[in-house]
Amino acid sequence: MSSTPPGGQRTLQKRRQAQNVKDKQLKQTPASTRQAGHGGSSSSILKIYTDEANGLRVDPLVVLFLAVAFIFSVVAMHVISKVTGKLF
Amino acid sequence: MARINEKSQGASQIEKLTDAPLEFVKEGQQFLAKCKKPDVKEYTKIVRAVGIGFVAVGVIGYAIKLVHIPIRYLIV
Amino acid sequence: MAGYRLVDVAKPFLPILPEVEVSYEKVSFDDKVVYTIISGLIYLFGQFPLAGISKDESNVKDPIFFLRGVFGAEPKSLLEFGIFPIISSGLILQLLAGLKVISVNFKLQQDRELFQTLTKLFALLQYFVLTNIFILSGYYGENLTVVQIGVLNLQLVGAGFIAILLTEVVDKGFGFASGTMTINTMVIATSLVADTFGVSQITVDAEGHKEAQGAIINLVQGMRSKHRTFLGGIVSAFNRDYLPNLSTTLIVLAIGATVCYLQSFRLDLPIRSTKARGVNNVYPIRLLHVGALSVSFSYVLLTYIHIFAFALIHLVAKNNSQSIICKVLGHYETVNNILYTPTFPLSLLTPPRSLLSGLFEQPLTFVVYTGFMLITGVWFANHWQAMSGSSARDIAVQFKEQGITLTGRREQSVAKELEKVIPVASTTGAALLALVTVIGEVLGLKGKAAAIVVGVATGFSLLELISMDYQQTGGQSALAQVLGAPGRF
Repeated sequence: MSSTPPGGQRTLQKRRQAQNVKDKQLKQTPASTRQAGHGGSSSSILKIYTDEANGLRVDPLVVLFLAVAFIFSVVAMHVISKVTGKLF
Repeated sequence: MARINEKSQGASQIEKLTDAPLEFVKEGQQFLAKCKKPDVKEYTKIVRAVGIGFVAVGVIGYAIKLVHIPIRYLIV
Repeated sequence: MAGYRLVDVAKPFLPILPEVEVSYEKVSFDDKVVYTIISGLIYLFGQFPLAGISKDESNVKDPIFFLRGVFGAEPKSLLEFGIFPIISSGLILQLLAGLKVISVNFKLQQDRELFQTLTKLFALLQYFVLTNIFILSGYYGENLTVVQIGVLNLQLVGAGFIAILLTEVVDKGFGFASGTMTINTMVIATSLVADTFGVSQITVDAEGHKEAQGAIINLVQGMRSKHRTFLGGIVSAFNRDYLPNLSTTLIVLAIGATVCYLQSFRLDLPIRSTKARGVNNVYPIRLLHVGALSVSFSYVLLTYIHIFAFALIHLVAKNNSQSIICKVLGHYETVNNILYTPTFPLSLLTPPRSLLSGLFEQPLTFVVYTGFMLITGVWFANHWQAMSGSSARDIAVQFKEQGITLTGRREQSVAKELEKVIPVASTTGAALLALVTVIGEVLGLKGKAAAIVVGVATGFSLLELISMDYQQTGGQSALAQVLGAPGRF
């Protein structure tokens, strides 16, 4: 049991301190990229890619051409399998 | 002391669980009552905007899908 | 951080996974329009039939036909699974991180990169697993050769990889807002147009009669076709069940209109500037605060359950109704030679094929399916609004930075006041959207109801951002001048 009576200046101060610490903790561990202030998903938008990671960097145009090329390679596969009769 | 606290907390949690759906519906209704609803003019404007957007995007997309038809015809 | 974290799994893959560059210059409005539309069109073009599957019909039909609409998935095409793996991996990992189940420090650049790569990796893994579940189940034909299996894997996982990169291009700022959402909306809009105005002729019976895919085109054709009477053509246009009919189209439109109506529900909070006197404005809190994400999340869970059950029933129990697994979970039955519907326990989470058959054969489904949609949707909305960076606390911080406060409130109590409104708005909105979805699905729309709900609500979220973008940078837009449109909103 502490000797000082409850209430008063000190308790108030303590409370405020505790509140501050709590606030800080909440701020320190953001739950998402947007909460950390770096864009990303918002309440009604699902965004997955926000940062540029140090991976194999590709230009967006390359991606688009790659995608078209991929699809046409599948078309080509259809054609080959038709011409040769049975490929697979 | 602490145990009593825990107990009463537990009890209130169970109470919360049964009350939750009722509370939820009540809060929702209150919110809906406070909400601003669109009037006819605003609503038609919105529906038109969304409709035009949807149809425009859809037609562009469908044009691409139409390209599939001759290709499919050639390969199958 | 002590111990091994899940994000560290992504570390060895960091250097080998392709990563779309972030643009150094600001991408102009017109470029964004072009990138967004092109990536959507490439995705649509990717809904191309798979090469190397056996020509004869397999006994195993499509088990997830009612889930495809939401994820832009086209059966037996390169995009068999659509963007489901991407959406599910994004939603679930972000949710887990937000709930602190997996520890990520979003303040660190390194952690954000790892988390992002982990999401990509998880999506790719799902494409691979799904592909092989479907191959092994015999969906692409029994007795596939090793070469065939390899080619199928290459096509499906490759297409998944392409889809991931396409969404990434849009996400990274070359397009509007979010890749998964723009692509999804485009696919849904396209299938709506195809179902209504589609002109492609499809053979519908043994005699070789052809009917148009689109409901309205079919109505016009039916009225003057030779093999049907005038009245018969009209009746058939409204109730044919092998292709989209006018009734379903009308229901879909009605649902879209309802979502539009709900979308414009908002609570205007009066705000004023703390710096200048007499500057008053309103800050709208939307009823659909979390947009269509709650429905997407419910459908992600639903898909997981169905795929898992499908794998168990087909790979372990071989769809044999005598086996224990099938007795516990139910088994699949072929309907009309095109659909694959599960029996009792699993059917509880499968929307009925039509209202009548649902009422007679699976009345319990109405309760369980509705409950599932409501509970998952509301649960998701409640958590997502708190963690996604638009929670009451975050908005209060924004207010403070911009020197705004709620009229009649002290600056300190803004967060508390918003806390009273935002969670209620999100959960109520999610519940209402779930109900609209359920009503549509129960009427037998086979996934189209969920698709239109997601499509319209997502479209709205995007439209809002796009019009904001337009106001900021669209002044010198050549596209807008060509179209002569000074922004719709």
